[in-house]
Amino acid sequence: MKLAALMRKEFHRFFHDPRLIMTLLMPGLFIFLLYSVLGEVIHETEPAKYDYKVYLSGQSQIVSILENTVIGTGSSIEFLEVSSSEEAIDAVEKGEANAYLIFSENFDASFDAGATVDIYYTSSDVDEGTGESFYALANSVLQTCGMRFSIVPHSFLTQESLGKMIMKSVLPMLVVTFIFSACMSVTLESVAGEKERGTLTTILATSVRRSDIALGKILPLCCIASLGAASSFLGIAFSLPKMMGISFSVFFQSYGFVSYLLLFLSIMGLVPLIVSMISTVSAFSRSVKEASAFTSVVMILMMVLSLITSFVSNVGDWAVVVPVFNSVFVMEEILAGGAPVLLTLAAFGLNLVYSALLVLLISRMLSSEKIMFGK
Amino acid sequence: MSDINGLKEIVRAENLKKTFSISRKQRRIEKTDLTRKVAVNGLSFSAYGGEIYGLLGPNGAGKTTTLRMLSTLIKPDEGDAFVMGHSVCKEAARVRDCMGFMTGELKLEGFFTPDYLFDFFGAMHGVDKATLAARKKELFTRFGIDRFAEVRVADLSTGMAQKISLVVSIVHDPEVVIFDEPTNGLDVLTAKVVTDFLLELKAMGKSILLSTHIFSLVEKLCDRAGIIIDGRMIAEGTLEDLCGDLSLEEKFFEIYHGIKGDVL
Ligand SMILES: Nc1ncnc2c1ncn2[C@@H]1O[C@H](COP(=O)(O)OP(=O)(O)OP(=O)(O)O)[C@@H](O)[C@H]1O
Ligand SMILES: [Mg+2]
Repeated sequence: MKLAALMRKEFHRFFHDPRLIMTLLMPGLFIFLLYSVLGEVIHETEPAKYDYKVYLSGQSQIVSILENTVIGTGSSIEFLEVSSSEEAIDAVEKGEANAYLIFSENFDASFDAGATVDIYYTSSDVDEGTGESFYALANSVLQTCGMRFSIVPHSFLTQESLGKMIMKSVLPMLVVTFIFSACMSVTLESVAGEKERGTLTTILATSVRRSDIALGKILPLCCIASLGAASSFLGIAFSLPKMMGISFSVFFQSYGFVSYLLLFLSIMGLVPLIVSMISTVSAFSRSVKEASAFTSVVMILMMVLSLITSFVSNVGDWAVVVPVFNSVFVMEEILAGGAPVLLTLAAFGLNLVYSALLVLLISRMLSSEKIMFGK
Repeated sequence: MSDINGLKEIVRAENLKKTFSISRKQRRIEKTDLTRKVAVNGLSFSAYGGEIYGLLGPNGAGKTTTLRMLSTLIKPDEGDAFVMGHSVCKEAARVRDCMGFMTGELKLEGFFTPDYLFDFFGAMHGVDKATLAARKKELFTRFGIDRFAEVRVADLSTGMAQKISLVVSIVHDPEVVIFDEPTNGLDVLTAKVVTDFLLELKAMGKSILLSTHIFSLVEKLCDRAGIIIDGRMIAEGTLEDLCGDLSLEEKFFEIYHGIKGDVL
C-alpha cells in the first residue's frame, strides 16, 4: 500500500505537468522530422529519369500500361528475355537488372481467380534506387488495375548508398541519446531534486521500507520514460521509410512485423536500465546540478559507445552481456534486415536484471547515512 | 520508560556519540587538518511527556546530528536512545511510527496540494483511510488550512506553507515531535506561526524536542533545556534550575567562557 502511494505520487506529479509531457514526446517528433527532411533531401538529388531493365515472364495487357506509364514519367524501360527463372533472379539480386516481373499463366483471363504477379527487385540504392522506384511504380499501376489479383513482392536488401548507411548507423546512437534524455528529464528532478530539497529526508523519516522508496521511484519513472521511448520508436518507424524514399507499407513488408517487434523490445529494454542508472547517479549526488554533470558524462560515454558499435562490424554475440551496448548491437542487426529473436530477448532480459540490481543498490544507498546525509 | 516525579520519560538519550570522517573539501572549508570530527560526544538527557525540550547550542555544536540520531536517520557510533521506550538502534521502524520529524526549512514538494500531501504522508505512515480523513478534517480546521487545501504549496505564503509542513509532520498522531531549528530563516510573522503551532501541539498533549541557537525561543517555549557545546551536554534542567536569577543568555555566556576562556 505504501509502495502504491509512492508510485501514485510520481505519476501524479508527471501527469499534471504538461511541460514534462511535452519534453518527453519531443524526441520522437524530432527524429521523425529530422529523418523525413534528410530523406527528402537525399531523394530529391536522385535523377527523376531511369532506364529500367526488367525481366518479364508471362503475358498481360498491364505490361503495355506499365510501359506507357514509365514513358509518361520521362523514363525508359527495356524488357529482357527470361531464359531461366534462376538466372533472372540472380541478375536482379546482383543489380544487373532492376526487377523481375512474373505474371501467372492466363493472367488477364483469371483476374478474379487467383492470378498473381511476383515482383523481384533490389531495394539497393547503390544504383540510385531504381529497383525500389520501379517496384513503387509497378505496384501503383497494378493497384489501379484493381486488386483482384495478388501482388507478391520479393526484395533483396543489398548494399546501400553511403548517405543511408550513415543515417542508419547513427540511428541507434540517436535512439540511445533520445531515450537517455527522456529518462534524464524525469529522473534527475525526481531523485536528485528530492534529495537536494530535503523532501526525501521527510520520507526517510517515516517507516516506509527503503526498497519501497527505491521501487516507488523507479517503476513509475520507467513507465513515464517509456512514453518517451515509445515516441522515439514511432518516430523511427514512420521516418525510416521516408528516409529510404519508399512508402510505409512497402517498408513494413520488407522489414516485417517481427523486426518491428524486436526493434520495439530493444528500445524498451533500455528504459529501465537507463532510468535506474540515472537514479543511482542522482542518489549519489548532492544536488541536481551535480547529478546532471555526472549524468552528462555517462551520456557522452554511452553515445561514444553506440557510435563505435555502429562502425565496428563483426561484434561477437558476447556483446549481448554488455548493458546498453547490447541494445545498440541488436538494433543494428535489425536495421540491417536481420531478426535476431534470441539476442533481442537476451538483451532485454539482461537489461531488466541489471536494472533490478541497480534498484537493490539504490535501496542500499537510501539506508546509507554517508550518501544521504554526508557533507 | 520510567516515571520521575509523575513525569513520563518520552525520549532518553544515553551516552550518544557520533564521529564523522571529514572530506578533503570540508577540511579546506573549515580550515582544519583533522580527518575526523567528533560531532556528538557522550550526550545523555531525557525529555518528558507534555513538555517542550530545547537543545540549545552554537553552530556546529552537534544539535542536528543529535536529532538525526534520535529520529533514526543516522546511527550513533556508541550509546543508544529511546523514543517511547523504543531503541533507535534496534527498533528504528517503531521509533519512526511514534515520532514526527521536521526541520526548519520547507521540506514539502511545492507541486502538490496540502490535501494530497496529507494523504500521501498518511499512507507513508500506514494510517488507515477513515482515521486519516477524520484527522485531516480536524487538523485542517484547527489550523485554518481548510480554505487552502486544494492550492499547490508553491502558491501559498511561506507562513501557510510552513504551517502545512508542520501539520503533515503530525499526520500519524505521533507522541513526540522532533524539530530541528524550527524558526531558522523565517521572518517574525512566519516564526510566530511556528511557535504558536508548537504551543498548540503542547496543549494537545504532545511532547516536543527542538533544537535552536536562539535564546529567546527557548525562554518563550521550553519547559526544559540542555546546553550543548562541542557535542557535549554542558548544563541541563528546567529553565529555573538552569538559569537561576540570570537570563538564559547571561547564563549561557557564563558557561561558555568557563569552558572556552574569553576567546570568542
Ligand atoms: N555528515 C557529516 N559529515 C561530516 N561532518 C559532519 C556531518 N554532519 C555534521 N558534521 C560536522 O559535525 C559538527 C556538528 O554538526 P551539526 O550539524 O550537528 O551541528 P549543529 O549544532 O546542528 O550546527 P548548526 O547550528 O550549524 O546547524 C559540525 O562540525 C559539522 O561540520
Ligand atoms: Mg543544525
